[in-house]
Amino acid sequence: MSAVVVDNRVRTARIVLVVLGVLVLAFGAWVLVTTVRPNRIGGLATWLLGAVVLHDAILSPFVLAVGMGLRRAGRSLRTWVLVVVQAAVVLGSVLALVVLPEIAAKAHGTKNDTVLPFDYTTRLLVVEGVLVAVVVIALVVGAVTARRRSDQPVVAGTTSL
Amino acid sequence: MRHTRDALASPNRTARSAVVTGRLLGIAFLVCFLTGVYSHLLQEPLGWMRFPTRPVQLYQFTQGLHITAGIAIIPLLLAKLNVVMPALVQTPPVRSVLHLLERASIAVFVASALVQVVTGLLNTYQWYPWPFPFKQVHNALAYVLIGSLLIHIGTKLQIITRYWRKRDSFDAQGRFVADATVGSELPDPNDPAGQEARPGSASSSGGFVGRLHRWIDGTPSPGPIAPATDTVPVTRTGASADGRRQRVARRGFIAGVTAATAGVVALTVGQSSAVGEPFNVFGPRKRHLGQNGLPVNRTARAAGVLATATAADWALTVAGPSVSRTFSRAELTALGQTEERLPIACVEGWSQMATWKGVRMRDLLAAVQVDPDVHVRVTSLERHGGYRIMEMGPEYTADPTTLIALELNGEKLDLEHGFPARIIAPGRPGVLQTKWIERIEVIA
Repeated sequence: MSAVVVDNRVRTARIVLVVLGVLVLAFGAWVLVTTVRPNRIGGLATWLLGAVVLHDAILSPFVLAVGMGLRRAGRSLRTWVLVVVQAAVVLGSVLALVVLPEIAAKAHGTKNDTVLPFDYTTRLLVVEGVLVAVVVIALVVGAVTARRRSDQPVVAGTTSL
Repeated sequence: MRHTRDALASPNRTARSAVVTGRLLGIAFLVCFLTGVYSHLLQEPLGWMRFPTRPVQLYQFTQGLHITAGIAIIPLLLAKLNVVMPALVQTPPVRSVLHLLERASIAVFVASALVQVVTGLLNTYQWYPWPFPFKQVHNALAYVLIGSLLIHIGTKLQIITRYWRKRDSFDAQGRFVADATVGSELPDPNDPAGQEARPGSASSSGGFVGRLHRWIDGTPSPGPIAPATDTVPVTRTGASADGRRQRVARRGFIAGVTAATAGVVALTVGQSSAVGEPFNVFGPRKRHLGQNGLPVNRTARAAGVLATATAADWALTVAGPSVSRTFSRAELTALGQTEERLPIACVEGWSQMATWKGVRMRDLLAAVQVDPDVHVRVTSLERHGGYRIMEMGPEYTADPTTLIALELNGEKLDLEHGFPARIIAPGRPGVLQTKWIERIEVIA
C-alpha cells in the first residue's frame, strides 16, 4: 500500500474531531454508568456485542448472497428491469425487517387497543405481494420488449448490492 | 480473509460509495441526536432552562422528525455497512496500535448504532425484550454513538475530502478512480478479482473467487482489463464498457436504497404527519382511533385510577404560598373555559392535533392569588409511574394556551384521556401532559 499523504488542514481538523469525539464518547459512558445500574450494564454489553455478531455473521452474508444472485441474474436482464427488481427486493427486505418485529410485538400483547391497531401480518403479505407482482411485470415486460428488439443486443447489465 | 475480500469487490463498495451513504447517514444520526437531546431536556431540564412554546406544534415536529429519521436510518445503515463490508475482512486485520484503536472505535460506533436503531424501533411498538432500561440507555448511547461518529469522521477525513465530489471520484468513462494515497481500505472495482498489484494475484483469480466472479459476471478471463495484445481502440471500448457497467451498478444501488428509505418512511410516517395519513400502512398508531377520537397511551386501569378518578368527591387542590383552594369539576367550569387547538405528541413519535376546552392555568393561579410566572408541581391520581409528578416552568404556566382540560374534541374528557381533569400545554411531550390530576402546587 502506498504511503498515505495527509494534508495539513486535514490533520488539524482530524485532531479536533477525534479529541471532541473522545470527549463526547466519554460523556456518554459517564451518563451510562451514572444512570444505569451496574447489573444492567452486563445485559447491555451482551446486546451491543450480539448486534454486531448478528449483523456481521448472519445478515451481511445473506445480503451478499442475494446481491450476487441478482448480479448473476442481471447479466441477461435489461438495465431498467434489473433496477426495478433490485429496488423491489431491497424495499421488500427492509419492510420485512421493520414489520416482523411489529407483528411479534403485537403477538406479545399491547397495553390498549390503540397501540398497534392494524393487522400487520395481512398488511405485510399484501405489500410484499404487490412487490412480487411489480417484479413479475417488470420481468415479463422486459422479456417481451427484448424479443421485439431482438436484433439489438441485450446489454450485459451488472449490478450488485 | 483475502478471498472473501476479493469476492466483495464491487462498484458499490468503494470509498466514494462510503462517502455518499455516510453523508446521508451522518445527517440522519445528527437529526436524531439533536431532536433526542431536545426531548430529553424537555423531560429533565436543568434548573435555568426555559423552552419555546411557539409554534405549539414544535415538539410534534421535532419528535416526529426523530422517529422518522430513525426509521430512515434502518436502510441507510444497512447500505453503509454493506458498502464497507470489505474493510471488515481486511488483511492484516490490525496494522498498528493506532489502527487497532480506530477499528475499536468503529466497532463501538456500529454496535451502538445497531442497538439504538433496534431498541428505538421496538420502543415505538412498546415492546421491551431487553435486560436494561430503555430511556437511560437510549440517552447514554446517543452520546457514545455521536462521539464515535466524530472519531470516525476524523480518522477518515482524508478519504472523505478526496471523494466528497462526484467529479473527483470517477474518470471520463465513469469508472471509479482509486487513489492509494488516501488510505481507503476498500478494494478497487476496476480490478475484477481484487488484484491490487500484488504478486501472485493470478493464482487467486483461478481459485474460488475467480470462478465465483466468472459465474456472476460471465467474464471469460478475469485478467487485466486491457491485456498487452489489445489494440488501443479495443482498450478504449473496454474502458467505456466498464465505466457503463459501474455506472449502472451505482444507479441500481442508489435506486434500491432510495426505494427502501422512501418506502419505509412513507408507509409509517402517517402516525405523526397529516400528509402521510392516507399511506399509514405499518405505523404503530392510527390517528383519530381511540376515545374522544385520539389514541391512548396509559389507560386508567394501568394507572390504577379507575375508582379515584370517578369518585363523586373528586376535587382539584391548588396550593399557593398564601392561599390554598379546592375545586370540583363544576367549580372549575365556573372559572370560565377557553378552547385551544394543541397537539398531543408522544415521545414514541405518534402525534395528533386536538381541540381542548378547559380553564387556563393562569386563571386558576389567579384564583389563588398567584402571579402566573411561577413554577408549579402537578400531581396525578396515578398510584405509581415515573410521570405521576410533573413540574412546569413559568413559560408554560403563564402561556394563555396552557389549560386544565375538561373537554376534548367537543366531548367530555374521557376517563382514558384523564377525566376529571388533565394538563395540556404547548410544545411539550405527551408524558408531561399529566392526566387525572389531583393537585397543583406553586413551588417557586
